[in-house]
Amino acid sequence: MTPKMLLLPILLPAVLAVVLLVIPRTLRLVRDALALAGAAALLYYGFVFFSLKDLRFNVPWLGMGIDFDLRLYHFSSFILLALAGFLILIILYSTVKMKDAPRAREFFAYVFLTAAFANGAVLANNFVPLVFFWEGLLVTLYGLITIGGRPTSGRTAVKALLISGFCDFSMILGIGLLWTVSGTLTMSQVSVEPTGLAAIAFVLMMIGAAGKAGAMPFHTWIPDAAVDAPVTFMAFLPAAFEKLLGIYLLARISLDFFKLRPGSGLSVLLMVLGAVTIVLAVLMALVQKDLKRLLSYHAVSQVGYMILGIGTAVPFGIAGGLFHMINHAMYKCGLFLSAGSVEHRTGTTELKKLGGLRKEMPLTAFGFTVCALAISGVWPLNGFVSKEMVFHGALESGYTVFAIAAWVGAIFTFASFLKAGHSVFFGERTREIPAVKESQPAIVVPILVLAALCILFGVYNKLPLTLFIQPILAGHAEAGAHLDFTSHALDIFNPVALISIGCLVLAFLLHRHGFLKSGRKPYLASEPVHNLPVVHKLYDLAEARVFDPYEQGIKVLHGLSLVLYKAVDRPIDFVFEKVVTVAGEKFTAILRKAHNGHYANYLAWCLAGLIIVAGAISLLAK
Amino acid sequence: MNAETIVLLTILVPVVGSFATPLASLLSRRARSVWAILVSAVTAVLPLTLIPLALQGGELVVRKSLVLGLDFVLIIDPLSIFMAGVSSFVGCLIVVYSVGYIHKEENQNEYYLMVLLFIGAMMGLVFSGNLIFLYLFWEIIAISCWRLIGFYREPAHVRKADKAFLVTFFGAVVMLLGFIQIYGVTNTFDITAMRGTLVPGTAVLLILFGLFSKSATIPLHTWLPDAGVAPTTVTALLHAAVLVKIGVYAFARLFLYTFRLPEGWQQAIPIIVVVSSLVAAGAAAVENDIKRILAYSTISQIGYIFLGFSVANAAGISGSLLFILMHGLAKAGLFLCAGIVIHAVHTKDIREMGGLVKTMPVTAIAFLVCSFSVIGIPPFGGFFSKFLVIMGTVQAGRPWLAAAALFTAVLTMYYLFRVFSLVFLGELKHPAPEKTKSMVFVVAVLAVLSLAAGLFVAYPMKLVNIATTEMSWWLR
Repeated sequence: MTPKMLLLPILLPAVLAVVLLVIPRTLRLVRDALALAGAAALLYYGFVFFSLKDLRFNVPWLGMGIDFDLRLYHFSSFILLALAGFLILIILYSTVKMKDAPRAREFFAYVFLTAAFANGAVLANNFVPLVFFWEGLLVTLYGLITIGGRPTSGRTAVKALLISGFCDFSMILGIGLLWTVSGTLTMSQVSVEPTGLAAIAFVLMMIGAAGKAGAMPFHTWIPDAAVDAPVTFMAFLPAAFEKLLGIYLLARISLDFFKLRPGSGLSVLLMVLGAVTIVLAVLMALVQKDLKRLLSYHAVSQVGYMILGIGTAVPFGIAGGLFHMINHAMYKCGLFLSAGSVEHRTGTTELKKLGGLRKEMPLTAFGFTVCALAISGVWPLNGFVSKEMVFHGALESGYTVFAIAAWVGAIFTFASFLKAGHSVFFGERTREIPAVKESQPAIVVPILVLAALCILFGVYNKLPLTLFIQPILAGHAEAGAHLDFTSHALDIFNPVALISIGCLVLAFLLHRHGFLKSGRKPYLASEPVHNLPVVHKLYDLAEARVFDPYEQGIKVLHGLSLVLYKAVDRPIDFVFEKVVTVAGEKFTAILRKAHNGHYANYLAWCLAGLIIVAGAISLLAK
Repeated sequence: MNAETIVLLTILVPVVGSFATPLASLLSRRARSVWAILVSAVTAVLPLTLIPLALQGGELVVRKSLVLGLDFVLIIDPLSIFMAGVSSFVGCLIVVYSVGYIHKEENQNEYYLMVLLFIGAMMGLVFSGNLIFLYLFWEIIAISCWRLIGFYREPAHVRKADKAFLVTFFGAVVMLLGFIQIYGVTNTFDITAMRGTLVPGTAVLLILFGLFSKSATIPLHTWLPDAGVAPTTVTALLHAAVLVKIGVYAFARLFLYTFRLPEGWQQAIPIIVVVSSLVAAGAAAVENDIKRILAYSTISQIGYIFLGFSVANAAGISGSLLFILMHGLAKAGLFLCAGIVIHAVHTKDIREMGGLVKTMPVTAIAFLVCSFSVIGIPPFGGFFSKFLVIMGTVQAGRPWLAAAALFTAVLTMYYLFRVFSLVFLGELKHPAPEKTKSMVFVVAVLAVLSLAAGLFVAYPMKLVNIATTEMSWWLR
């Protein structure tokens, strides 16, 4: 295996993207076959690379220490494998779901292009290739959202682009500062203490990583995209790829590039970011009336657990955060795909219109239920394990308040999924939707695969933890720390788990109360919370986008532009247009008067000139 | 042919060729178009043949003695070859596009004559190593620019042309005073003879007037958006290939290659240009005339080029040089796309356009690609140039300026996507197809080149790196 092979995960999907773009619409089967074969090849090489674990490709690129440097090691090979796994599921799903979409060709091309950029970003071992691939994702992000084809899709795409662009640019600034501090751009050589300028670099790069993962306050495009973009896009980017990339980079930042210490200010900052994201986003998720929007807020909320876990800076918490990353990607992808399956058959994802679909779509219902229980942290699914690890980590870091925030999040997560599942698959069958049948195998299989993985990773959690997660931490934990996690209780018989289970019971009671109070309408089960006195006002403001930093930011941008234009640009132009021209006219008017046609006058001018010239010469001659 | 002959031909072919254009038109209109394309193509190819020489590094100075110490000096080094190559290449593409764009207008003889003279004077300016010749070519450019902006002959347009001419002429004359002061210090106008001297602060101020007026930097910038009354091909030429680039080129030639800047100016210039960049981006976000928006965008991007040069470290300088190439390709593409749109819908107001992606798919994609490049998003070329300029600024210990420059990039994204959304997305208001094939072909080429320049950035970067090491003698 030569180092050049590392180019394959980048070049193969990129070339495939171009091919898929030019294949005519009529050759749909060829297109699907090619896409599946390409994704399968990537998955195969994902396994090959994962077994290799150590490869480096380095060629000079731009000079000044900017090399095209790719490095395969444990962490990057794990992410590479995960990306390839999600890619093939999404492609399989899209062959049916995107079949009749007007811009299906573009969709497939963008998906593979995204895969190429994502693989490149994961493999990069120099900050410049990293930014190159990382920021390149903006292009496909914009393209994929516009494929939604709704009147507001363009607007949402620009919103996603501006928010992500802001985060990426702040990361660039952070990288610049880090370069100045560390003196090198090679990622594997950078390791600095986060103090002074380096602390600012840390925060700036963290914005880039957290923004990609969709943490607050950089999340607001995701719920909009849930409505305006294809649901496959939601399962692909915000649920899976962006989480993997964002958390991968966040982990690299806090483990490798900077030495994040438990209890340090930056660690607390990360935990605050995580805790706030968990609680606020889940509260928004709770009151949503549309399945896709509900899921999208959870995609934000769950990032909070990952950031909280990594932010604890204790090995157990970090491992929990990383484990939660892969778990979340699986069940959230599964949830969005289930929502897509429902949309595919019924044509809607509005909770009010749906109900009792479990009999007609049993497989989708099963997949959804498993994933929903996993995200809610029900034992023995994978979400339970990784959330427990995060709770333990938060408690270990000494800040109990963050563990409490995480538990509060758990209550509302379960409550909102009880509401969602109850509204869509259980409860009474509504009359608005005509009879439907289960979706095609290509749609159901990815959902079931993900559900099966959720069960596997939960029941045999030792398998992913020892295979994927622990090696990442090797060399990062302080000497003597246990990395096999045997000292930590990951079963249900310990105080932490009992509190978590208590939260679930509370959530169930909350849902039951709401369900009964709203006249047995499951989609209204969250109304008691929604209608609490002050909370209701806050929800109304949030729905009016008052708390959306993007909306406010655009107002600021526009206002600032107006000020710059009216207060700087136009006055300068006024000087040129009015002051200079009027002054010129006045001046020439005086000269014009001097030209009155009398010889004597001109003679006098000439004489005066001569005298001045002579005087000047005689002065200079001295 | 040796390098000297090639360079002389690069200057003489377009200058002589321009005056022969009216003769060609005596044969036929077609002959004139062919002649114009031929001349500009030869001008574009000649500097490319010098690239192997440039890649070897080192410089070649050719001196022809004339009276009064006004030697005709040619500097053939990686910097001048790079600049000549970029300008003449983009210029050539614009001439090809012109054939479709102005075929119905009057005064085409004047148009082609002035455009070719414009390119020729640019070549002369790039290679000349004597301040007086620099000034001469500088003013030839101003004159042909003046004729071209007022091409449509309407009184309002002529007024704008006068404004452009007067502002740049005023700047140039002030710059000439600066040259004279430098002569007082060094006793020569020969650039090669005065390398490494510290210039007086007042001379820097005087020369900056000239550079900023030509490269449209605050507070001497408002003529550039007004010059948008010219035919779109001319605006593209002004913005992408020749006019505004001569200010930044002269900055590199004078204040990097030749002189050492006084400490105060090293501190001040980056601040001025970042402010200029920010203000122009703000104005672009407010304007509704597509050409004025793009013009302000140029002012904003020129700020980056000045920023990279003025922080004067390896990353900054190479970023700025690369920026000249990337901005040339992308901005020419944007203007020419705007030209196709304006030609079809007969308005410049973006609020009156909409939905054109349905009838003009190629133009829409080209516009999008060039927008991405101008904003600085990979894999397009503009990313590398902007990234390096920012890195250079941070490395020079000015992170606040880098932050302001990045904020400007966010603003750039905001206003360019505002244009794209209003013009190409939404509801279709003027169903108009892309008519002329040669015009669509040129914008497609520019978009492809913007992408290729990003994917294969290592090739231009090789030349840029050599040019950077050659000119930054104080870094060695």
